[in-house]
Amino acid sequence: MFRRILIANRGEIALRIIRACHELNIEAICVFSEADRGVAYLELADRAICIGGPAPKDSYLKSDRIIAAAEIAGADAIHPGYGFLAENATFAEKCRACNLEFIGPSAEAMRLLGDKSTARELAQKCRVPTVPGSDGILEDEQQTLQVAEKLGFPMIIKASAGGGGRGMRIVHGKPELLNAIKQARQEAQGAFSNGDVYIEKFLDRPRHVEVQIIGDHHGTILHLGERDCTLQRRYQKLVEESPSPAIEPRTRKDLCLSAIRLAKAAGYFSAGTVEFLVDARGKFYFIEVNTRIQVEHPVTELITGIDLIKTQIRVAAGEPLPFYQKGVRFSGHAIECRINAEDPDENFRPCAGTITRFRPPGGLGVRVDSYAHDGCRVSPHYDSLIAKVIVHQPTREEAIRCMQRCLAEFIIEPLKTTIPFQRQVLSHPDFERGSIDTGFVERVFTPSR
Amino acid sequence: MLDIEKIRDLVEMMVKNDLVEISLRDGEEEVNLRRPNAASAFSTPDAAPPAGLTTLPPPAGSRLAPLPNVAASNSPAVELIEIKSPMVGTFYSAPDPESPPYLRVGQALHVGMVVCIVEAMKVFNEIKSEVAGTLERILVSNAQAVEFGQPLFQVRP
Repeated sequence: MFRRILIANRGEIALRIIRACHELNIEAICVFSEADRGVAYLELADRAICIGGPAPKDSYLKSDRIIAAAEIAGADAIHPGYGFLAENATFAEKCRACNLEFIGPSAEAMRLLGDKSTARELAQKCRVPTVPGSDGILEDEQQTLQVAEKLGFPMIIKASAGGGGRGMRIVHGKPELLNAIKQARQEAQGAFSNGDVYIEKFLDRPRHVEVQIIGDHHGTILHLGERDCTLQRRYQKLVEESPSPAIEPRTRKDLCLSAIRLAKAAGYFSAGTVEFLVDARGKFYFIEVNTRIQVEHPVTELITGIDLIKTQIRVAAGEPLPFYQKGVRFSGHAIECRINAEDPDENFRPCAGTITRFRPPGGLGVRVDSYAHDGCRVSPHYDSLIAKVIVHQPTREEAIRCMQRCLAEFIIEPLKTTIPFQRQVLSHPDFERGSIDTGFVERVFTPSR
Repeated sequence: MLDIEKIRDLVEMMVKNDLVEISLRDGEEEVNLRRPNAASAFSTPDAAPPAGLTTLPPPAGSRLAPLPNVAASNSPAVELIEIKSPMVGTFYSAPDPESPPYLRVGQALHVGMVVCIVEAMKVFNEIKSEVAGTLERILVSNAQAVEFGQPLFQVRP
């Protein structure tokens, strides 16, 4: 087992990993940028090392400084969290080359599954249904037009190297197609240094359902159920829940087995999430794999009782998974709200500043994962997530009631947050019926201001 | 002519900016202000606040009345400059264990001069000075781990 783990991240996920380390009697070493100097969770780390200036490119993305910090602190392993270098295969390789275990999958699996179009090809090989689309990246105009003829409109152009909901564009008709592809390529080149794009049929009112998988170094891969993340705004998730209220048990089983098949084919280990779209008739289609721990992992932790971060650490240390598939029990219903420092009345404009009053909710079945506290600075350099509220109750109705109570109690001043928006959503009849789709937010909320 | 108000302003400015010494001349008037117990700018945030300034009589011939809490000193001084580590790693004061250190206190520095090594991942990076002056103080010890932005040397420009 590791003696010391370096956490190459910040904010709530850094705190999450510190906690898991300490419960395993492992020392936690944090790195921080000058913008995060003095933030409270660093005091919980066994050691904190400054690695650069506020901008991520000057600190949290500086792989050599992070590895140097691991060296001087005598760490055995690095946990990358999510975002930043978490899905950077070169970083994973560098860590392992420096005798630091990277808590995540192999670099090969990361490359294979991280590229959305090669992941699609692998899914097709494993008989995992994929959204109808181009087989691989678009090569030239002629091929593009041929594929488009077969697919029909509307369709969506996706960047192969994209992620986090970026690098996507919807095309409604043939006249726009070639131009849209040119623009998408340019954007992808700029944002991801890779202009490769592919196209998929744009599904009508789909739901986003993802499967949590976990694998060890001994070839075992298990699933830990699904999460429904349909409530999104511009492809950014705002509310997640499990189990999904909109799928049949048969669909659930097929989704989970498909996810395992794909992960096995890629030689995957550690935590990962396989994402699918499910259409109105219950047909599902693979879209991508996230080869890291995800923001919404607590939803799965609450319904299974399994600590995903501790399991990641154990698996990375070479231990076999401490449970069998049959031993994984699902109980109750969990819902998470991501509380972002964004103003819903101003098009979700991010708000930076200092929190003067932070009063999180509590009670039975309530969990709050947050780095924030009174006097805490919310920096403009990083994502706007301040806190995650996750509730776990015996039924979905009770979970919704509980979450509404929590959102009503939660005080974060003076910044604007997404709380009022989430309160509205959770009382909308479509949400309560479990019959929303990924276009729900745009349809229902954007025009109202 | 230097007057009390200006001296008070100077003292305030010194305290506010945590300066150690100021030396000013105006015609025949000269004032040297020194805070011997000032906390250095490199102390940790929760270090004790600086002790009070000591009082000395004003130089002979000055038309200034004695001021409380202002020290006169014979050595002229200005604000010191820090050389900070641009990377994370292990600080070495010499090119190798057999050689003498790159610098000793009092040595003259010029821009571009190698002042130390910071090693990371078996790569030994020579750190070059971006300032010229005299080495006043070495703030870290050989083989000490250093973080980004950590002050390594104080230089009198």
